[in-house]
Amino acid sequence: MITFDVPSHLSSKRGDFINALKTVIDPELDVNIVDLGLIYRIKLDAAKMCIVLEMTLSSKFCPMGESILSAVKNCMERNFPDFITEVALVWEPEWNYEFISAEGIRALEGY
Amino acid sequence: MSAVSHHNPLYKIVVTHYLLAGLFFLTLTIMLLFSVGALSGHYFQPKVLALTHTAALGWGTMIIFGALYQLLPVILETELYSLRLSWFSLAFFVPGIILLIYCFWIFDPGLYMQTGSVLVLTGIILFNVNVFFTVKHKKQESIFQEFIITSCLWLTLTALLGTLMVFNFRFSFFQKDHLHFLRLHAHMGIAGWFLMLIVGVSAKLVPMFLVSKYQRKYPLSLSYYFINAALLSFLIDGYFQGIGFMTYFIVLLGAAGVSFYLFYIFRCFKSRIRKEVDLPMMKTLFSFVFLTAGILILPFILYYHLRNDPFTVNMSMLYGILVFMGWISTLVLGQTFKTLPFVVWLKHYGHLTGKVKTPVPAELINSLLLYIQFAAFISFLLAFTVGFILVSSTLKFIGVCSLIITALSYCTQIICLLLHKTKTEDYDHI
Repeated sequence: MITFDVPSHLSSKRGDFINALKTVIDPELDVNIVDLGLIYRIKLDAAKMCIVLEMTLSSKFCPMGESILSAVKNCMERNFPDFITEVALVWEPEWNYEFISAEGIRALEGY
Repeated sequence: MSAVSHHNPLYKIVVTHYLLAGLFFLTLTIMLLFSVGALSGHYFQPKVLALTHTAALGWGTMIIFGALYQLLPVILETELYSLRLSWFSLAFFVPGIILLIYCFWIFDPGLYMQTGSVLVLTGIILFNVNVFFTVKHKKQESIFQEFIITSCLWLTLTALLGTLMVFNFRFSFFQKDHLHFLRLHAHMGIAGWFLMLIVGVSAKLVPMFLVSKYQRKYPLSLSYYFINAALLSFLIDGYFQGIGFMTYFIVLLGAAGVSFYLFYIFRCFKSRIRKEVDLPMMKTLFSFVFLTAGILILPFILYYHLRNDPFTVNMSMLYGILVFMGWISTLVLGQTFKTLPFVVWLKHYGHLTGKVKTPVPAELINSLLLYIQFAAFISFLLAFTVGFILVSSTLKFIGVCSLIITALSYCTQIICLLLHKTKTEDYDHI
């Protein structure tokens, strides 16, 4: 479940953020990072024009880790060029398979 | 919060190992073509020794070393201790293997064979130093770590005994005959190095690739203690008493250890979220059938051995084929194309993701080559095993030709992957 910290007058941006982040795919699982439950928090600082994303990875030394993190930053900067994006990698709570959404499970099951 | 590395410094060392392993595999198939007849005789003969060491060191161990340099940080969740040490290890290991194999092939147990064995042992010790210091940096212990460390210890002991055996050819200092030590050397390598290592690594990777919900580790702990207890008992009992009725119980102990591991793999497979199983993963799962078949043959080898029946030699050879070519090779053929595409993908696309549309790692593989390789390998296993049982040279020859096709398609696939050109698509044009 993603926690949003977005000013009420910009709440319409929530859907845009999610849609943009859904284009970032885990290269092994071929499922987007939102449905995998890797995104924990999205904070929008309207005054500083800055988006701060808190996210995790499925493993601390995931060989794809840097690639996924840079994909998130690149994707947000491409879709929201007026904002600066900061991606913070966190390990609490530790990710497990229960974080995968119903859509993510369906994609992994091949439906 | 934490940061992850920004590039893959391990790329060159990993792909060098994969490429060399592929070349040794191809060499092995050519050597096999010229020694089909030798496989009908006793296993303790020059050509069989050369073949076994090409398969065990040049093919199996070489690719495991390469894969471990990439996977150790993932499995142990820490960084590799030293990249330089891995190059030093390779610099000793490769000439050592070549020298050793050549000397076995022509059977020259002199200075060159001794030098080869010392070089191989040095390469292995340097590899192990790297693994031990990598593990030392890790804060939490895990069962995967226990398997890996123990397998490395067994590998060192295997290589040490192997080196002593090479020197014993010339200086004859062993109290018992050479075959006695050959049995111990082989099983330290098979059960101690390959089995322990494969269990430890696959126990972490199989649930990761299958996205399995099964989290319990007790079958792995049981597997660890049973396999090690069986191996230690075999070495002690085997050294002092030789093969006897007690060996049946030791085999049973080892089989129980493997069963716990297979139970773990089965539970991971049953509880997987990802339903589709790709070809490399299918090969990996398929390899366990050969492991089981190899273990099931052991009581028969014992039975014939205790009756002094010469059929023991044929059964032992079949056991070797099932272990090296059935289990280990099928596993390597499968896992190569599960790991190498990621290494190559990271190099080409790791920095581009999110900016442009990139392929996924699995799309870097040539599917046709993969299917040819799989079909040729199945053809080899069937023709060669049946040919061996029925003592048919024609079937064995068909099998070896199939194996050459397997090796050629395997090497071609590796070279195609390494020569991959970056292909991207602009998001605006999708």
